[in-house]
Amino acid sequence: MGKYFAKRLGMAVVTIFLVTCVTFLLMNAVPGSPWLSEKTPSEATLAALNAKYGLDKPVIVQLFMYLKNLLHGDFGVSLKMQRNREVLSIILEMFPVSAKVGAIALCWAVLVGVPLGCLAAFKRGKLTDSILRVVCTLGISMPSFVVASVLLVVFAGGALKLFPTIFDASQGWRSYVLPCFSLGFYPMCYTARQTRSAMLDSLNQEYIKTARAKGLKNGKIIFKHALRNALIPVITYLGPQVAFTLCGGFVVESVFSIPGLGRYFVQSIQNRDYPVIMGTTIFLATFIILMNVVVDILYKVADPRISLTKGGD
Amino acid sequence: MADNKKIKRCPVSLQPDIEALLAEGGLSDADFAPATKQEQEDFIQERASVSYWKDAWRRLRKNVVAMVALGVIIFLILFAFVGPLLVPYGYDQFNKGAENLHPFHYALEDQVRLEEEIAARTETEVLDEETLMAQAEAEKGEPLTSVEKAIIRAQVKASSQSSQSAETVDENALRKELGIKKKLFGYSRAELEQKAAGESVFPHVFGTDMYGRDILVRVMYGARVSMAVGFFAALLVLVIGAIYGSVSGYCGGRVDAVMQRIVELIYSVPEMLVVLLIATALKPILTEYVNSGSGGPLKSFVTILGPNLISMFIAFGMLYWVTMSRIIRGQVLQLKQQEYVTAAKALGASGGRIIRRHLLPNCIGQIVVTTCLQIPSAIFLESFLSYLGVGVSAPLPSLGSMATDALSGMYTYTYRLIVPSVVLSVMILSFNLFGDGLRDALDPKLKK
Repeated sequence: MGKYFAKRLGMAVVTIFLVTCVTFLLMNAVPGSPWLSEKTPSEATLAALNAKYGLDKPVIVQLFMYLKNLLHGDFGVSLKMQRNREVLSIILEMFPVSAKVGAIALCWAVLVGVPLGCLAAFKRGKLTDSILRVVCTLGISMPSFVVASVLLVVFAGGALKLFPTIFDASQGWRSYVLPCFSLGFYPMCYTARQTRSAMLDSLNQEYIKTARAKGLKNGKIIFKHALRNALIPVITYLGPQVAFTLCGGFVVESVFSIPGLGRYFVQSIQNRDYPVIMGTTIFLATFIILMNVVVDILYKVADPRISLTKGGD
Repeated sequence: MADNKKIKRCPVSLQPDIEALLAEGGLSDADFAPATKQEQEDFIQERASVSYWKDAWRRLRKNVVAMVALGVIIFLILFAFVGPLLVPYGYDQFNKGAENLHPFHYALEDQVRLEEEIAARTETEVLDEETLMAQAEAEKGEPLTSVEKAIIRAQVKASSQSSQSAETVDENALRKELGIKKKLFGYSRAELEQKAAGESVFPHVFGTDMYGRDILVRVMYGARVSMAVGFFAALLVLVIGAIYGSVSGYCGGRVDAVMQRIVELIYSVPEMLVVLLIATALKPILTEYVNSGSGGPLKSFVTILGPNLISMFIAFGMLYWVTMSRIIRGQVLQLKQQEYVTAAKALGASGGRIIRRHLLPNCIGQIVVTTCLQIPSAIFLESFLSYLGVGVSAPLPSLGSMATDALSGMYTYTYRLIVPSVVLSVMILSFNLFGDGLRDALDPKLKK
């Protein structure tokens, strides 16, 4: 267990390091500089700006400088979007907004998706199953911007003005409804599909027959015996999804103008604000990778049959 | 002879009594003679061999959902690749006078009737600045100060605005009153007049956008881009994944261990994030490459496809082959234990030949299914990137970027959002359903 944990953590560190390096090199390979979009400054100003932010040194040197600063917890300062503001403080301001929306979205995705999957598996081949299958396949076929904009048209504009079109945390629960729904819709459908197929697998097992033969009630069979074993693939999927949703759907945040990390990341890419791109990428990547490690360990704890040392398929 | 050899059977023996069975079936020794040539041929003909693909196709044909999905896919392919030839508009052609058309129109005579009616009803004459000022000057007897002029201008502006808004409110109510009905397809006024004059005018089936570009054509090109991205990305994933996975599985040992560490590494990289980064970073690099002086076949290839699409392929190909390689590695690990691989080795076949001729053809089912399910996920990603503005860039339309463009006028021109969204969703849905059907058909064991 300890050895596995150490190995997994080591891999995570290597991955984060590689992601950092690749991002840095990619950003530097892009032609154009962050100063270009404004009025073209004079040569001298450019040189001074480059010298100030260390952009005049060779790329490798810049990379090492950046890594060194990173280890000291210094993500650098924003060059453009909020000039000279610490990237870390921007991230720490944006992340809670994204995390709140993401957490609500995931909660409803799991709380609805898993029971729906169970229901579909239990009613296999019946009308309920067919309807749920259609809805879920449709759900995983609709990009989140389609879901979000359709929701906007139907519920926020036109005749029904039930919810605000632009996210505003001060307005309370109303502005959370649409973003959370559209963010959680895809994971919900995916979870339901996964649960269904995993449940079908486990409902065919011998121990379910035993449970039936014992005369257990359906509810007990499903939730106590079948579901526990069916949850493994669901957890596997949810691991990365948790991190990703918490960090904000890029699209959903853009549609609803949520001042979260996802939208800010996209904006910083469009504005070529290198330190912000770097900082956000490293933050999101670290979060997602660590989440993967945690989930990996968690579900191996949940199911003792899974061997920890062999990296099986 | 037979009688002599007869052994006395124990009455409770479980051994079948062959003599009795033969006697019962009326079979004689002659029935056990070898078959003649004719009989052999008949036997073979009766059981025409059913190949793997025929068998799969038979199963697939019974799957109604998958067949409908296949039909939709074929329709969409025709729509995307043949459609633009039939419609006389270009995807970046600005049709003057046909801006902001809805996907419906009112007949020409109805429009004329409506205008007459409005003219009759609106009594407020349109006020003219100049005449008003002249009037005021005459009343006052001396030239107006600039403040007074400004007041008059403001009044005129206000009154013209209010009359305009009154007219638009009137229009819809009037149409109801006069019983004017919407007709399918969008036509501009000029086009209706041309049509009335006997010319044939192609309608704007889904209306036009704010620059007068035909939405139908743009959706066709957008669908084409999506499908091209889907197919090529899936192909790229197939090639990289198949080579990597089979080499890793076949070689085993230390090679496999190292290769699997790399796979695990890529697996834990946050995909969306990196794809977004790569697509953004590569686009300007490739654009610069295209604009640079040097020639060569690679450059012309990049120029033809466009830097956008290529950067997307690369981004996709770099990350998404991992799943494919894992699946193929798992299959190869099982298959390489089979006798025919040992036989091939014994005959001196090289590793490459064994992989190509024996291992890969035997996991073709898995390969096809995974490739097929890769297509919708590539389309999904393309629309996502285009929606965020880092995918396909203007003037080439993409379903994702069309949806972004439509956001600004979402409530008045809802159809601009709906049309590309529906096409996109139907496309992904049918690829998903078809992929599921294909999986059931090629690998019945997996059927859920």
